[in-house]
Amino acid sequence: MEIFGGVLYGFQVALQPINLLYCFIGVFIGTLVGVLPGLGPAAAIAPLLPSTFAASPVAAIIMLAGIYYGAMYGGSTTSILVNIPGEAASVVTCLDGHAMARQGRAGAALGIAAFGSFIAGTLSVIALTFLAPFLARVTLRFGPPEYFALMTLGLTLLTFFARESTVKALMMAAVGLLCGTVGQDTISGRFRFAFGIRTLEDGLGLVPVIMGLFGISEVLLNLEQREQQREIFAPPTTALLPTREDWRASTVPILRGSVLGFFLGILPGAGAIIASFASYAVEKRASRHPERFGAGAIEGVAGPEAANNAAAGGAFIPLLTLGIPANAVMAILLGALMIHGLQPGPLLVKQAPDVFWGIITSMYIGNAMLLVLNLPLIPMWARLLRVPYTVMYPFILLFCLIGAYSVANSVGDGIVMWVFGIVGYLLKKFDYEGAPLILAMVIGPMMEEALRQSLILSAGSFEIFVSRPIAAGFLAAAVVLLVLPLVRRRSLPA
Amino acid sequence: MPRDLVSGLFWLALALFAAAQGLALKLGSLNRPGPGFFPFWGGVVLGLLSIVLVVSSHRRGATGSSPLRPESAKPLVVVGALLGYLLLLETLGFVAVTFSFLLFLFRLERRGWAFSIVSAAAGAFVSYVLFQLWLKTQLPTGPLGF
Repeated sequence: MEIFGGVLYGFQVALQPINLLYCFIGVFIGTLVGVLPGLGPAAAIAPLLPSTFAASPVAAIIMLAGIYYGAMYGGSTTSILVNIPGEAASVVTCLDGHAMARQGRAGAALGIAAFGSFIAGTLSVIALTFLAPFLARVTLRFGPPEYFALMTLGLTLLTFFARESTVKALMMAAVGLLCGTVGQDTISGRFRFAFGIRTLEDGLGLVPVIMGLFGISEVLLNLEQREQQREIFAPPTTALLPTREDWRASTVPILRGSVLGFFLGILPGAGAIIASFASYAVEKRASRHPERFGAGAIEGVAGPEAANNAAAGGAFIPLLTLGIPANAVMAILLGALMIHGLQPGPLLVKQAPDVFWGIITSMYIGNAMLLVLNLPLIPMWARLLRVPYTVMYPFILLFCLIGAYSVANSVGDGIVMWVFGIVGYLLKKFDYEGAPLILAMVIGPMMEEALRQSLILSAGSFEIFVSRPIAAGFLAAAVVLLVLPLVRRRSLPA
Repeated sequence: MPRDLVSGLFWLALALFAAAQGLALKLGSLNRPGPGFFPFWGGVVLGLLSIVLVVSSHRRGATGSSPLRPESAKPLVVVGALLGYLLLLETLGFVAVTFSFLLFLFRLERRGWAFSIVSAAAGAFVSYVLFQLWLKTQLPTGPLGF
């Protein structure tokens, strides 16, 4: 009953006109971000963070969350019509979605992507509604050793899901941990890696680092490629509704994708991208006609699109119950909550029930808005996609510059973004991934505090991590994950 | 030279630097770890991983997913423009710098003068209205007061 009370309360909060407006703005911007290739949700949310300082914490988070799951809807539009992924999470949608467009079935593809997204998004919010309060009660009993062990497991998972080499992913995590130590040490008050520079004394800002790694560097990489003439399929004006035949083929993939996506979304480093690939692989294996995949199989659109939306919902679990972000976007939301004086984690549901339930219920509303919005707006997005990248990117850069500056009205943050833009560009060139770095940078300070507090608790004995069963379990799982790739290396194709 | 060797050596140098800084900051004792504890061990872990990467780099060869040498100088020019924007922002003010920045990039992309000037002016004006007037961001003002 407690949950139903919470949901009712949440709807009271989320249905307030001002919050509805923020939700609408969020999902609208989100769809736009999803549609535009080369602008991901992390790079788009980061510069908008300062603009929410004046809003109430509920409204701010509702909007930022809306951008995140809204982007999952928008990404499919570009994949299907242009064969360029609007979002990293809709890369696989290109395969069959664009093939369908070539066969004149763009309408069915867009339709099933939108409905699949809606069904999966809603299912995952339902799961979040029931799971989050329950988990928050469990994690309430976690002490510093459990937190440290859990975060170690989280960082290990992150590298387990790495697309490039495990060693490189672990290195990025280590670099991220070191980046997290920049600034004033919370326990001793000493400055670390600051070199007398004001901006560094406050610690590396999350917003400028994310915009550098995911915004600026992306533009720099795109600049190297000679612009190809984009072939945009005219969006159909009618027949966006999938036929009964389409539904029969898509229902099971959507449900499977929802479950898969939700659970992969919870895991740090897995998230929407891995979820969409996993769903595609599962559907292809489950299909009686795997040869149709890549040639316009509607299951190949329905499954992955469901999975990436479900993952967006799942990603809120660790944030709301543990205060640990599962991906870069959640890291920004964590920052947003803290700026508004809230401590994300198991206590959030007690301390700020309006925020906790308001965010969750706003996602039901946001998903419904997206379903209604998405299909009628497709002709507008198609027109927007005709704007060449050479006209678009100066504005993306400007947007990042303003965002970095306005976090603290400091040019220093802009310089941090600039440096990390170059770093991100070089990382791509040398085949490293930026995601483990970001997460480790956010988790680092929490992890350090948990470790040092644990050692103070145990008077310097590492036994505390083994003698407490939950902590020991997490650490054991982390060790297994680290060893597993070494054992399986030879048997894996890629 | 294999790509992994280059990047591995770079991270190794960074790791040594971090570990040295950690030592200088004092490691503390195990029952009361000091401020240098985390940087030191972070550096050690990074260093060990870099060594693994460097050692295994000859086996993987110089294959990479994208060519190392950029096809055009554009990224470099844009990096310069970004730095210029940041350095001039507080002296010239938001509107003037934004206009020049956009104009420069449009010209870089060989857009016509008319298109470039109009788009840059519109971009500067709209972003000023959006961020300064509507979202109440405190953008720096120039000698002319905007």
